[in-house]
Amino acid sequence: MISIQDVTVQFGGVRPLNALYADFTDPICGLIGPNGAGKTTLLNVLSGFVTPIAGKVLLDGLDLLPLSPEERFRKGLRRSFQSEQVVDDLTVWDNLMAACDNLSPASPNPEAEVSRALHFVGLSQDAQRLGAALNLFERRMVEIGKALVGQPKVILLDEPGAGMSEAESAILRQRLLGIPPNFGAQILLIDHDVDLIQATCSQTLVLDFGEKLALGPTAEVLRNKAVRNAYLGVE
Amino acid sequence: MHEISQPATTTLAVPRNRAALWSIVLTMAVITALTALTANSYWLTTLTSAFALALAARGVGLLYAQLGLVSLAQMALVGVGGWVALRLSHGTALPFEAVVLLAGVVTSIIGMIWGAPALRLQGLYLALVTLMLAGAFQIVIVATGFPDGGPGLLGRADATQRLMMQRPALAQGGTAYFIYVALWLTAGLVLVEYLRLGRSGRAWALIRRGRAAAQSTGVNMFRAKMKAFALTGFLAGVAGALLAGNVGQLDGRSFSAPESLFLFALSLVGGAHHWLGALLAGLLLRAVPSLLTDFGVSGYAATVIFGAALMHALITAPQGIAGQVLALAARLRKPGKE
Repeated sequence: MISIQDVTVQFGGVRPLNALYADFTDPICGLIGPNGAGKTTLLNVLSGFVTPIAGKVLLDGLDLLPLSPEERFRKGLRRSFQSEQVVDDLTVWDNLMAACDNLSPASPNPEAEVSRALHFVGLSQDAQRLGAALNLFERRMVEIGKALVGQPKVILLDEPGAGMSEAESAILRQRLLGIPPNFGAQILLIDHDVDLIQATCSQTLVLDFGEKLALGPTAEVLRNKAVRNAYLGVE
Repeated sequence: MHEISQPATTTLAVPRNRAALWSIVLTMAVITALTALTANSYWLTTLTSAFALALAARGVGLLYAQLGLVSLAQMALVGVGGWVALRLSHGTALPFEAVVLLAGVVTSIIGMIWGAPALRLQGLYLALVTLMLAGAFQIVIVATGFPDGGPGLLGRADATQRLMMQRPALAQGGTAYFIYVALWLTAGLVLVEYLRLGRSGRAWALIRRGRAAAQSTGVNMFRAKMKAFALTGFLAGVAGALLAGNVGQLDGRSFSAPESLFLFALSLVGGAHHWLGALLAGLLLRAVPSLLTDFGVSGYAATVIFGAALMHALITAPQGIAGQVLALAARLRKPGKE
């Protein structure tokens, strides 16, 4: 469970996050809001790339803020970025193995872990292909596979469905739903595709100008009038 | 809903990359045998230097191609290795191999210290800092010279009593020493390839991809970068010791800052992404000037050729000559395909 307590981030005169409280308890949680609402900033705070000026972030009771991004990785935190980070001149296998390399304690059977993650994201047949040869959908799948090795606790996904076709998005949806039961990890998902959020997230946080607009069961949150005004553009 | 079953996945078979290591050994064996059988003593000395410098070139190539870091101090590090080797050789009774290894270790430590700015800097700034280090080394080594059997820390003798560094007992002659250096080169290339294809190589690749990618994958950037600089320094140190053994003495002018620039530039021309490129860089550095001399052209004309070759590499062949050769070979193997 991720618990965000009174987190404030300040860049000069701007506060991308302002005194935010939120507890994510469900297996897959959504994070939506208009552009500039502070979604990616929140992910950066969670993964250690942005340090808030106040507040606390707890992962299953562990205070994350004093830890470096590398240490957070070892504590079971994974993330993907809006721009995918697949390494072009490593094979699909090595892209995942690179994550296995840095686990602590080391994985007893890294080959089996990588195989299992590749199988889950449907890339078993592509293990020896180079990153450069993959299409966008496959690259996104490599990133998700990479997040699955080493018994992750929380996976933060920043717009994993961006640029995908309807059919690909449907596969992504199925795979995301399969992660909590198969790998025991909680997912925090940013996406602009409200259908994807509705289909996968049981709990959703809506941010607007760095503040919490709504947090609760997704269906309820999306019916909320303030949310519809701010985000969906419905008067 | 999910057809993914928990334990049913089987571990995929992964090729172990042994073939890549054996191909280095095999190629080096063929090249070395052909050269040893055909070259005269002048060319043997030249190619011995070329092979030693290929080790140093592999180091800069590794930093550039694997981590995206530009180091312009590699020839100065070769000089450091040469200095340590000469000092040890004249001052102690250590066997040649121990001298080479110690030169590698000491240079590796210096390489890590010189590489420390890379923890904060990259790109042009790191290039400038390393170039300044190369310049500083040039000033020191031109002033102090290399040890030649004299007393004291600097080990300088007066002009009448200069000593030569003894070659290893096993490899006194030109041909034997050439094969000896080829063995070191092969071992160095295999070591780099082994690390590149394994855990270290994956960490380096992530660092090259970007800070965010590396850190969010748990890569310890400090350790990974220091490992690369240690390896690069080690290769430079070994190269310096082997060069010292080749001629018996070293000249401070051979390790100037421009020489470091040449070494970097020719590593790109040869191809920084592949071990073959390092071999080509060594040959370009030493064999091309000798070839020109053979043809009655001044060896300095090589500089002009290198400039043109660098332009060519930067514009049309980012993988260098090695990349072009390998692409051609791949096309010949699969005729009909693009």
